[in-house]
Amino acid sequence: MTRANKEKLTDIMVILVWVAGLIILWEIGATIIAQTKRTPANVLPHLSQIIESVFSDKMVSNKQTAWQIVISNAGITLWRAGLGFLIGVLTGFLLALFMRYFKAVEKTAFPYLMMIQMIPILGMAPIVLAITKDINKSRIMIAAILTFYPVATNTLAGLKSVEKEKLDLMHSLAASNWHIYTKLLLPSCVPYLFTGLKIAAPMAITASILVDTLQGSGGLGTMLSQSLKHAISIYVFWQIVFVSAFIGILSYKLMSVIEKLYSPHEKAKAAKS
Amino acid sequence: MQTAETEIRIKGLCVTFPDKDGGEDIHALTDVNLDIKQGEFISLLGPSGCGKTTLLRSIADLQRPTSGIISVKGRSPHEIRLSQKYGIVFQSPVLYDWRTVRRNICMPMEVIGLPKKERTRRVDAMLELVGLTKFGKKYPHQLSGGMQQRVGIARALALDPEILLMDEPFSALDEFTKEKLHMDLLDIWKKTNKTILFVTHNIQESVFLSDRIVVLSPHPGRVSAVVDADIPRPRNLDCKGTAEFSALVNKVRNSFEGV
Amino acid sequence: MKNISMDREKISTILYPLMFGVFVIAMWQSEALHFLMGADTFTLPLPTRIFTILTENLPKVLLNTKATLMVAVGGLVLGSLLGYLLAIIASTFPKWGMGGLSVVSAFNAVPIIAIAPILNNLTKDFSRDPNIRSMLAKTLVVMITCTVSMSVNAYRGFTELKPFSEDLMHSLAANKWTIFTKLKVPNSVPYIFTALRVSVPASIISAMVSEYFAEYIIGVGRMIRENIVLAQYATAWAYIAAAFVIGITMYVLLLIFEGICMKGRRA
Repeated sequence: MTRANKEKLTDIMVILVWVAGLIILWEIGATIIAQTKRTPANVLPHLSQIIESVFSDKMVSNKQTAWQIVISNAGITLWRAGLGFLIGVLTGFLLALFMRYFKAVEKTAFPYLMMIQMIPILGMAPIVLAITKDINKSRIMIAAILTFYPVATNTLAGLKSVEKEKLDLMHSLAASNWHIYTKLLLPSCVPYLFTGLKIAAPMAITASILVDTLQGSGGLGTMLSQSLKHAISIYVFWQIVFVSAFIGILSYKLMSVIEKLYSPHEKAKAAKS
Repeated sequence: MQTAETEIRIKGLCVTFPDKDGGEDIHALTDVNLDIKQGEFISLLGPSGCGKTTLLRSIADLQRPTSGIISVKGRSPHEIRLSQKYGIVFQSPVLYDWRTVRRNICMPMEVIGLPKKERTRRVDAMLELVGLTKFGKKYPHQLSGGMQQRVGIARALALDPEILLMDEPFSALDEFTKEKLHMDLLDIWKKTNKTILFVTHNIQESVFLSDRIVVLSPHPGRVSAVVDADIPRPRNLDCKGTAEFSALVNKVRNSFEGV
Repeated sequence: MKNISMDREKISTILYPLMFGVFVIAMWQSEALHFLMGADTFTLPLPTRIFTILTENLPKVLLNTKATLMVAVGGLVLGSLLGYLLAIIASTFPKWGMGGLSVVSAFNAVPIIAIAPILNNLTKDFSRDPNIRSMLAKTLVVMITCTVSMSVNAYRGFTELKPFSEDLMHSLAANKWTIFTKLKVPNSVPYIFTALRVSVPASIISAMVSEYFAEYIIGVGRMIRENIVLAQYATAWAYIAAAFVIGITMYVLLLIFEGICMKGRRA
């Protein structure tokens, strides 16, 4: 146990060293740029300047500091991304179930499911906005579509990867379809579902931010484009870069945490190794 | 063995599979005739491709025969399966890795909807029977291969089935674990008086365990001999060294055709 | 009789999706789809109209397609090569490599939208020609996306070897170079394709999104947006169709390439 802890500690150390390395690299770049460019803050400011801007109580617009703008707009973006994500998860999961249950549905939907993967959905965001005429609806829709296919394909893969023997066992018990699904198929596809969720969660957030940029009605993306156009302080942009990166990584981590809570046997496995 | 009535009767059983590449049909089993008595320990022995697993799956109603009749207690395998009179053990333990040992054994009882109290009582009894009382709260991956297979056996016995079907259950285990489980299986068999059909490709194993050995040969799959393994019971590991045992092993080995 | 039922199985695999596709297009053309979605033929033009616009503007569409393709393919190739190289370095120094890769894989969760404007600013002085410096910025965005997925997957390809295969090499007293070329590189091939299956579609998406932020106005993604701003929806749809074609063509090419490289291996 102590040895495992020690190993974990060195792992964390290694990661910290890497992060430190990246910070140093950034700072070197920022120093060079500070000496060569006229407006270094637009290109690559020092990290300290960005942190300073977070705590600065200077109003940059509408009686809000830069950080207040970022946080309030992050809320708007996240709420939409979350809603779209949930809708996408639900429909993706249900489609996978239908595909497992009805052979005809699988045959019909499978090529299209593969095709969605190859089509640049994000590029379609403007047209979705044009059709729905509502920025909120299109945020939710795009996030939902992007969530939908990793969830559907991974869940289907999970449902299909169940060993034949486990199905035989169920048949030998004359189990009903309800029991086959609730006792065997659904629990078996949980790890696959979470693989899909981990891919989908950051994608839903990216989608939501991107859709924001299409129209000036709030959200991280809106503020990002305004900041780039110098309508508000450029530090809003830099804060958004870090906040969106943080949210993206956090959304991924959140899925891993939920997965661990949901699967105690995985936890037992992790504790052993 | 006491003279008991016929439990399973197989008449003219044939199973053919269409060849996937469009070639000739594969004759997995041709004209199998076999009577199995209640409480008998029968081995289905043969090399891979001889149809021994297909025979087991046909009895279990997991495989539809092309022609021929199987009757179990005078009824069809389908009816017997629906009344949950089969217990199955596979080559791999086929445990649910998201369930503890207890909940794995519990699963068949949940399927037929036994009340919770009864489930707990039976799980305790099963754990005791296979000697895993201390391991109920563990997850499958925390157990050794032999222990996992014991859980598989406990699960198969949980519904108190009348017929236990075992498909090469010990073939992935090491020799020491295997011998231990052989003794345990004979013990469980004696205690429960089940009819056991045991698929294996190991001659010694079949001779040591069974009352009768059904020898199957491949291409096409067929029964080439039925050998009585009349070594007196109770058997222990010492009997493997006897001349009687070696003679039986040789007899079985010589009864294969076209391998 | 059995053969007929097998054929029927095959036919339905092709027929069902085909019927569904025809059905949707028929709904679209007959405006039933518009009724369902509450859209009009102005924002959602009929397929025939989109096709007409596409053929009328073909030279312009092709020009923009070329621009997007160059960015996507360029970034894909450079990023994948860099990713593979990083994986080699990481597997040579596993202790530090693992940590580095987990830091790199965190970049996977960073929205492209945050990266694109930074690179746009960084490359401002690279060239006097805005087209060239925009190209560079866009290619770099695509490159970053592809580097991440290739490095993580290729690293697994170098480390997740078949049991005892490395022992076998050691028993032959093979040197590090031999182990690398005869064992690790071949072992990494399926993992390369796992990475490419993710990064080929991602490269097109990143290319299109980075076009939004680029200084120079060119590319399929940018054209979709520009035409919508101008309320030329049919033209926007023509570019969406072009994006479809790019996406599907590149993916199919990848699958063919994969089929050739993985011949004889188990899928």
